[in-house]
Amino acid sequence: MSFDVSSRADQVVTIDIGDALDFRNASDFKALCQEEADAGGRHFVLDFSGTGILDSTGLGAIFSLYRKVSPEDGEVVFAAVSKPVEVVVQLTRTYKVFQQFDDAAEARAALVEEEGGAPSPASPGRP
Amino acid sequence: MAAPDPSSTEPSPAEQRSLLIVEDERALRRLLEYRLGGKYQVRTAAHGREALDVISQHPPDLIVSDIMMPHMDGFALQEALREDKNTRAIPFIFLTAKDDDDSRLKGLREGVDDYITKPFDTEQLLGRIDRLMERTEVFRTHLSAELGRDFSERLMPHSLPEPPGWRTFFVSRPHDQGGGDLFAWKEPEPGVFFLTVGDVMGKGLQAKFYAYTFLSYIRGTIHAMLAETRSPATLMSRINEMLLSDEVVEETFASLLMVRWDANEGTVTYANAGHCRPLLLSGTKESHVVEDSDLVLGLEEGAAFHDYTLSLGTGEALVLYTDGLTEQPLESGRMLGEQGVLQIADSARAAEDPPSKILSAIEPNTRHGDFDDDILMFWLQREASS
Repeated sequence: MSFDVSSRADQVVTIDIGDALDFRNASDFKALCQEEADAGGRHFVLDFSGTGILDSTGLGAIFSLYRKVSPEDGEVVFAAVSKPVEVVVQLTRTYKVFQQFDDAAEARAALVEEEGGAPSPASPGRP
Repeated sequence: MAAPDPSSTEPSPAEQRSLLIVEDERALRRLLEYRLGGKYQVRTAAHGREALDVISQHPPDLIVSDIMMPHMDGFALQEALREDKNTRAIPFIFLTAKDDDDSRLKGLREGVDDYITKPFDTEQLLGRIDRLMERTEVFRTHLSAELGRDFSERLMPHSLPEPPGWRTFFVSRPHDQGGGDLFAWKEPEPGVFFLTVGDVMGKGLQAKFYAYTFLSYIRGTIHAMLAETRSPATLMSRINEMLLSDEVVEETFASLLMVRWDANEGTVTYANAGHCRPLLLSGTKESHVVEDSDLVLGLEEGAAFHDYTLSLGTGEALVLYTDGLTEQPLESGRMLGEQGVLQIADSARAAEDPPSKILSAIEPNTRHGDFDDDILMFWLQREASS
């Protein structure tokens, strides 16, 4: 299982989580985040539309990302949170840390606005 | 948390067994690389010295080596590997030529796992490689399972608090695919107990190892701080700061429930850091999930934790558990969930051994007739007659 970066602009990286983020692919996710952070990504939008499984290893990988970007005032936000993901977020009370948005576009707009910059058109990573 | 359907687990390239071929003859090297590459991750080296370089970067699961090679021959390579404890145990197959003299062959039998005489049939070589790989795999699996069980045992209590007027039960069923569930208790003053239930994020041995390290720290913290505080929330804040500052456990995240149970007063004061929410089972009022909780540990510096207090009336029970229970997938495809566990637990309230009753009620509805993750449950109940 791999992940798609669906857009990358204004230091905001959007990652499509897909079906599952769990113990099987958490290290791929970590590697991708590291790569994106090294390439200048500061804020991360995680798109959970259609995500059926988020287990503790997957959640741990997201926490690692948060620990990595937060010292540089980077943010990790959740978009289109599916029901199974919502259950985990509620249980762990992580909605206090990861702001949630209805969809990825809204999340990106909010992050760019927060930066105080005019949004540049997002570069589509795929059609 | 829940292990998803194991039937959908595919070995990732990272899990593919790796093989190093050391052979100076280019054509043979290429042929072997091609034939073995379908099944194993193959690296090659033209002689012993090059092989040592490759091994130091990417230690293989098995080595197939020629004997006669320039720069460093097979014997010298094997000897160098035997001297290093990190490489000593790598299975080694020699490719020997027919005219290698017998005394040398006799010597090499002692140090290698197998040898095969050139010219050889590649199917024969493949068969031997498979067999050796399988043997080491069996050993590895066996060892991890043993270590896992050992850690699991150390993460669990050997006895239970048993104050008069109360009944307590504990059940733990570690799973090979499980993670870092932990439980501990302490009685700092007569009839007052500190209970800790937690789950360190991650899977397998690594999670168990971190859970073990983490539990030692929790024990130490409780021991050191109980003289100055009785508040689970204060202890929780301290443990959160530790997780964020200690290098060994820096990448560790955990959900944790700390409970101060005063059996004399019949009260329970707890702080919950993102852990599965306890169940309060009552005969007279409505049984419910104890909802108040705070953020999971290891995520945010200065995160606030709060103490919440409950009283338990006669016959009432409090159930602490980990997510192997709630996240257990059922035959229907759905997870059992918090409400599912609450319902089953409530109907087991008056049973002789409630946790066993709960598990046997759930088991037949699981997909494989068994649980998919670690199961841990602690049940405390005020006796009806007291």
